[in-house]
Amino acid sequence: MIDETTMVGMIRAVMPDAQIMIVDRNGTMDHFNVSVASKAFEGKSLMDRHRMVEGALKAARNDGRIHALEIKTAILE
Amino acid sequence: MSDALKTIIEKEVADNTILVYGKGTKDAPRCGFTAETIQFFNSFGYPFEVVDVLEDMNKRTALAEMTDWPTLPKVFINGKFYGDTDILQPMAENGELKTVLEEAFAGKGVTPTIQLR
Repeated sequence: MIDETTMVGMIRAVMPDAQIMIVDRNGTMDHFNVSVASKAFEGKSLMDRHRMVEGALKAARNDGRIHALEIKTAILE
Repeated sequence: MSDALKTIIEKEVADNTILVYGKGTKDAPRCGFTAETIQFFNSFGYPFEVVDVLEDMNKRTALAEMTDWPTLPKVFINGKFYGDTDILQPMAENGELKTVLEEAFAGKGVTPTIQLR
């Protein structure tokens, strides 16, 4: 289990400009839909953008706090 | 990562035009995302294979290293890695995936069992 504030902090540590929307899919605080908008995505392929978000949340993935993520990304205008 | 494991994975990828590494089997997926991916490809009508790696941590680690992609399922089409449905769904919506699949199956004598959307 992980709270949204912690996740936002982890993502902003890598992408400080990130605008983030998180939905707790099941109310169990371990399955999330995460939408991230950042200028850092400019020129990156969809797969690389996902790698960036997964990379930011890696610690919580590895210790099991996050079980599942559905990721959406956008370039921040 | 052992070379033997890498060889097995490369052969599986080469042998199946659409290959999904997931948790559970086609008939009994054991993860919501794997089930979603199976449903996704069912809707295209092309043959695809699912390899269950739920219990095989060595293979999961090898796959993650080879693709630089930490999660399951992992989808390969015509030998190329496409991530998961987070990537494939937008590709389906903009028509890119239809082209990828048509090219992947061109000359293989396979026609989709249903009309592509």
